[in-house]
Amino acid sequence: MSARPATYESAVGRLEEIIARLDSGQAGLRETLELCREGKTLIEYAAGELEAVGQGLEELRLDELIARLEAQGPTTE
Amino acid sequence: MEPLLGQPLAPEGIDGYHGPHPVGRYAAALREKLRTFAGVCLIGEVSGARLGRGPNVYFELRDPDGAVPCAMWRDEFDRLGLRADDFRDGIEVVAAGSCDYYVGGPSASPRFTFRVRDLRLAGEGDLLARLDRLRRQLAAEGLFEPQKRLRLPALPRTIGVVTAEGSAARRDFLAGLARRSWQGTIVWAYAPVQDRRAAPAIGAAIRELAALGDVEAIVVTRGGGSIADLWAFCDETLCRTVALLPVPVISAVGHEVDRTLIDDVACVCCSTPTHAAEAAVGIDCAHALARVTAVATRMDAAARAALVARARTLAAHSRAPREHVAGHRRDLHQQTRELRAATRRGIASRADSQRRIGSTVISRKLEAARADADARRAALRALAGRLERAGELGAESRAKALRAQGAALEAHDPERALERGYALALDTGGEPLAGAAAVREAGDFELRMAGGSVPARVREESEP
Repeated sequence: MSARPATYESAVGRLEEIIARLDSGQAGLRETLELCREGKTLIEYAAGELEAVGQGLEELRLDELIARLEAQGPTTE
Repeated sequence: MEPLLGQPLAPEGIDGYHGPHPVGRYAAALREKLRTFAGVCLIGEVSGARLGRGPNVYFELRDPDGAVPCAMWRDEFDRLGLRADDFRDGIEVVAAGSCDYYVGGPSASPRFTFRVRDLRLAGEGDLLARLDRLRRQLAAEGLFEPQKRLRLPALPRTIGVVTAEGSAARRDFLAGLARRSWQGTIVWAYAPVQDRRAAPAIGAAIRELAALGDVEAIVVTRGGGSIADLWAFCDETLCRTVALLPVPVISAVGHEVDRTLIDDVACVCCSTPTHAAEAAVGIDCAHALARVTAVATRMDAAARAALVARARTLAAHSRAPREHVAGHRRDLHQQTRELRAATRRGIASRADSQRRIGSTVISRKLEAARADADARRAALRALAGRLERAGELGAESRAKALRAQGAALEAHDPERALERGYALALDTGGEPLAGAAAVREAGDFELRMAGGSVPARVREESEP
């Protein structure tokens, strides 16, 4: 089981590698199933990232954001 | 021309004018006079620049109202550090110098010239020259590199944008994001982008965006303009801020032909706000989502196919022995059929052959038998003939012998002896009595003689 990908591009890059490996027909059953399991994780991650930027554009103003942050004051531990 | 009176005669002048003066002396006096004029700075466009390789660089300074021919000593021009592109026709320069006059010579034409001792580019040219110096300085400090080493995410969730509020650049940037189907979070940092407040405001906005933490890329953009309009983006402090920022900065200032200093220090330099949006979001999100979906489908299919393929392989392996045996059985049956067929063909062939051979042999034997039979028949016939002949001869012979034997036998027949007078003594039983003793012993006997038998008896009266 591979670790969670660091970035969307690394996830997609790894997915391309997996697809290429699967398409080569050289992977055995065990490797194929492991690649598919890893690919599923990557796909979920990539789909999540795409979903995060597909829910509608959010526009913020820096000055308002800073004002809001300043109004909240410094965080106390 | 020979003077009339041993000395040259002074030619007559023209009323109302001094002289006549020798022109060379006048020219020299003129040069000296012109050189007394105060040094001034002239501003105008360069025209007819001839850099050449001689001791002077020649050009004209022009404006709509007039022109002045200029010359500059080569070494003084070289010290300016201007490149050929910087000093070209049409650029505006400020030239410092004074009037001069070349008196000419036997084969050189005289010429008035404004002797330029110093020169700098004016207006845009001046800005470009300053920009060039600053660019070389920052490059030498290695400040073009840090941003290039930052990773620009292909799919940021939050993008900070520094631009003028309500600007065309803002609209174009949004259009670019829409083309990418990107709908994340934008933090707008509106700032003046042209006047003297612009550079500090832009610098502050960039720092604050970076400080937010969530911003993964910062875009600095504005539309096109002259180098003076874009000068804020060549500000040294701003460019140093960008160069050392830990967040990647995408610059899109002016149009493609414009290149400000922030373009050099930024992570990525784009020609337009639209391109900046496409650089900030490196992928088409809608296409990527479709691609990910397709990959997921493909992955499922690959896994299923792998399992099915393996299952088929296993099934094939499980069937293999049976199929192997079946195969052998088929082969065996086939071979059996072939063998039978071959046998039938062989038997038929052999039978045919034997039949042919038998037929030949039989016919030959038949012929031989016939011939033999004929021979035997002929022999038989010959034998029969011989036998017949032999029989005929035998019969005659036998008849003759018989007749001889009959004659011999007849000669020995007692009857014949009886006929010749002999008598035969027979006992009562009819058996011959061979001697006198037998007759005596028999006592009674019968004498058989020709013509019949006579009973007789022995009489024993006298002994001898």
